[in-house]
Amino acid sequence: MATTDQAARQEPATTGVAGTPPPPKAERRWSFGLLIRPVFLAVVLLLLYWYVHSQTLDSIEKRSLNQHAILTTLAQSIKLSVVGTAITIAIAVPLGLLLTRRGARLITPLALGLGNLGQAIPSIGLLVLIAFWRGNGFATAIFALVAYSVLPVLRNTIVGLEQVDPALIEAGRGMGMSRLAILFRVELPLAVPVILAGIRTALVLTFATSTLATFIGAGGLGNGLVAGIKLDRTDVVLTYGVLAAALALFADWVGGLAENYLRPRGM
Amino acid sequence: MLTPDNTATGSGTGKNGHGATIVLDDVVKQYPGQQAPAVDHLSMEIPAGEIVVLVGPSGCGKTTSMKMINRLIEPTSGRILIDGVDAMTLQPDEHRRHIGYVIQQIGLFPHMTIAENVGLVARMEKWDKSRIRNRVDELLDLVGLAPSEYRSRYPRQLSGGQQQRVGVARALAVDPPVMLMDEPFGATDPITREHLQNEFLRLQRELRKTIVFVTHDFDEALKMGDRIAVLRERSSIVQYDTPEAILANPADEYVESFIGRGGQLKRLALLPISEYPLHDVPSGNGALPTVDVEASLRDALDEMLAAGKQTAVVLENDKPRGSLTLDDVMAAINSHEPSTAKDPSRAGL
Repeated sequence: MATTDQAARQEPATTGVAGTPPPPKAERRWSFGLLIRPVFLAVVLLLLYWYVHSQTLDSIEKRSLNQHAILTTLAQSIKLSVVGTAITIAIAVPLGLLLTRRGARLITPLALGLGNLGQAIPSIGLLVLIAFWRGNGFATAIFALVAYSVLPVLRNTIVGLEQVDPALIEAGRGMGMSRLAILFRVELPLAVPVILAGIRTALVLTFATSTLATFIGAGGLGNGLVAGIKLDRTDVVLTYGVLAAALALFADWVGGLAENYLRPRGM
Repeated sequence: MLTPDNTATGSGTGKNGHGATIVLDDVVKQYPGQQAPAVDHLSMEIPAGEIVVLVGPSGCGKTTSMKMINRLIEPTSGRILIDGVDAMTLQPDEHRRHIGYVIQQIGLFPHMTIAENVGLVARMEKWDKSRIRNRVDELLDLVGLAPSEYRSRYPRQLSGGQQQRVGVARALAVDPPVMLMDEPFGATDPITREHLQNEFLRLQRELRKTIVFVTHDFDEALKMGDRIAVLRERSSIVQYDTPEAILANPADEYVESFIGRGGQLKRLALLPISEYPLHDVPSGNGALPTVDVEASLRDALDEMLAAGKQTAVVLENDKPRGSLTLDDVMAAINSHEPSTAKDPSRAGL
């Protein structure tokens, strides 16, 4: 056969590798840089503690600046934010997944439009509007927080899934993977970094917005802020403001850690 | 499994390392909303164990035709038989697992190691772990990548050529009788490409798979194909023959234009010296050019031209075995003039 003889003639001396392989890249996940944020936050909180401790507090200030009041509102804020983010993820990721399936392309703009609406309305306005409808309390606050933070997760889920190289899906199909197998073994893992970035954004949004829950009686660090402003107590405002900011920054750090560790290897 | 009798592997022919015969019977692909069908009543038989190259310009339907074999594209009508089994009766995913698939973009999964990529089909086929591990190592050896070094790397740590070797290994995972290759070496640089082509031909000599190979590069078709199907619009076959026969006797001007210039030289490249009788080695041959017996007449001609001589010494295992003259080369071209010329005016060429 002509082709085989020809092949024998042109056979390269090496059956080895063409081109030099790049050296294996070490998977760097942990670095000391990751410690900067928590150390910084700890220092700020210590300074705050030391400052407040050195002040003489009047009875109004004492009502807000005591261990019980701070821990209670902090716990409320964390609960609101964590529950809100969890529900956001539970809604937005599966929704994004459905919207990227064949046949759902037509309603994608609609879903994104609704998400945009939720985010475009000023958060305080959204909160109060929903309170008119649903009444005050924890559930209403959660409802508003979710409405407010669904968009980044939804949008990133869609973008994350759509940016997967179509050649990979083609290869998977050609190998005999079912559409479901391709979704869970190829598309989703490859979309994880983008989805996590969206979740991180939502996390920060939720933690920051949760301070507004006080206006509809759902508590949180916003209680102290509002009390401090209304009663003109700078130390109270300062304490709760720094706490709320530190909490949001800490949430962002946790989100960053998650991005770092849950990112698929090899990318 | 949902397959009626699990004969997608061609009744076990894959295990013997032999390919399966593929028959396309009056296959049509009509996309909705388009006037002309993409593939218009295509019928062809692809013999077991051969590389058949579908060659034609972009948009001629060659890729569509190929993808109907593994049902990535479902035919509108017609039958596709693989060793006599109608592909349309099989569960599509199951069917595709028994047909190797190699694409130009390679499509290795970046988040899986080389071993995971290669072992994926075997895992879907529920092979046990040690069997998969052994098979992966065997395949990596086969394509020239040391398993111990490459097994646990990720695709982005490999060069393009190495990635396509892994692509070929992945397609061979469960020893399918049939392989579909869509411009598999098209994205690599010319040197890597030639290496990959040669190695693949070497592999194929052992594997004897039935391979449908799509390319728009006629020279690649000449090199890779046991047979070449020259296609034009709507996947209509202009000529389906061996490379030698197509070069010697192009069916029409369309095929001629595809061959391009230098058709006779390309033919010489397909004619191995070993198939021709040699003269004795002339005495005092020190100044004569040499050429290996495994080389082609074109190589011999090239050596003669380079040295300015009309004779070349043919070597076997680096020892003179005989000699070849310029007249022999000329005679070879004329003697291979086919008797089945459709155009009488070419008969005297």
